[in-house]
Amino acid sequence: MNLVAPPAARIGAGGLVVDGLEVRRGGQAVLRGVSLAVAPGEVLAIEGESGAGKTTLLRAVAGLLPHSGQVSAAARPALVFQQHALANRLSARGNVLVGTLGRVGFLRATLRLWPAAERALADDCLERVGLAGLGARRADRLSGGQRQRVAIARALAQRAPVLLADEPVASLDPGNAEAVLALIRDLARHEGLAVLLCLHQPALAQRFADRRLRLHEGRLHPP
Amino acid sequence: MRRLAILAALAALYALSIWVVAPDPGRLWTGLPRLAGWLAGGFPPDFSGPADLARRAAETVGIATLGTTAAALLALPLAILAARPVAPLPWLYQPARALLDLLRGVDGFVFALIFVAAVGLGPFAGMLGIALHSAGSVAKLWSEALEAADLAPVEAALSAGASRAQAATVVLLPETLPQTASALLYVWEFNIRASTVLGLVGAGGLGQELKNAVDLLDFARVLAILLIITALVLTADRLSAALRRALL
Repeated sequence: MNLVAPPAARIGAGGLVVDGLEVRRGGQAVLRGVSLAVAPGEVLAIEGESGAGKTTLLRAVAGLLPHSGQVSAAARPALVFQQHALANRLSARGNVLVGTLGRVGFLRATLRLWPAAERALADDCLERVGLAGLGARRADRLSGGQRQRVAIARALAQRAPVLLADEPVASLDPGNAEAVLALIRDLARHEGLAVLLCLHQPALAQRFADRRLRLHEGRLHPP
Repeated sequence: MRRLAILAALAALYALSIWVVAPDPGRLWTGLPRLAGWLAGGFPPDFSGPADLARRAAETVGIATLGTTAAALLALPLAILAARPVAPLPWLYQPARALLDLLRGVDGFVFALIFVAAVGLGPFAGMLGIALHSAGSVAKLWSEALEAADLAPVEAALSAGASRAQAATVVLLPETLPQTASALLYVWEFNIRASTVLGLVGAGGLGQELKNAVDLLDFARVLAILLIITALVLTADRLSAALRRALL
């Protein structure tokens, strides 16, 4: 069964191709030969029970875990973490600027002398996620939904063509969950991002993803 | 069996301590009238030459403040090198921890003694002594605060392409500011107390004035200096507590 759809030829330079990904932990295989592809502008949802290996898959694709197999993307994918992973004492803008650290030198970043272009990009990212005007607010003074939007804005500030989102709505109420997923879908549609999304709610995956796969015992299956 | 071994070790420690210290309540008892005499001789305390006393008090506060500031500057890179999750050079982690243990292990008094020999008598030697010892203490407290922090934002920064040093200075330091600032204030407050005795080795401050008064058996002067030290320490304590509360 070919689960790597759409065909790799359509993926192009802006997409994500994962081929034969394996992750072992304590001698046990957590992921066994996972292959998938996500085209620019497409949202692929990975469903699965807790402990199925969804987070491991995203972290391996993001390069945070040692793995074997191939991960091909034009640039380092941006990762939206399950629990926001925001720095509470930084402002919303300060957190978004963390996404630019790969391009800003140590001294400038340490002294908060961010280049004007990066500051403008951070404000633009906040605007794109619907948080214009909240840049100066401290992260711990934002609501759960706003915090997740800041986390998405931080990922956008990386200017990565591939967005990975690990259970991005796990801690949100139903209304906020739908709004955040709609935002992710719109970003894929309008900005051509290839989105690989892990969700444990099949109903939400059905509504907001273009394709769905299920991760079970370290392998991908049809939903 | 394990409990017995601990008890035996404790008993040995106490036996050794008693043997070397030879505490003698009888000697204390016979010395009490002499102490009471000195205390009585201290009244009224002698605050004459207030300009001299104020200068010595200012030296004490200056030694503590500049010493703690210099310690913080030395401690910052050391703390980052010695905090496992963000240590930019993992091979330097153990040497960095060994260095800060060494700095903490030598008292500021001893460092001041060495600096008096190197840079001469006066508060500058005291400041250097305080700085070197406190750098180890501050770095240790800071590295522990960095290691105990929520590392999720650090991981997010690393996944965005930040270096470990960037993740430390941009994300982790602001996140741990209440703990690190609180630790620094505590060390400053401690250094106000510590710098009062540095005068005993010629490193300036109220300790210098105290030593002169004790050498002359001028107990009215001794009492005045002790009262000033107490006021300084209490003020530093209150100020530091208020600043800590404001930071949290």
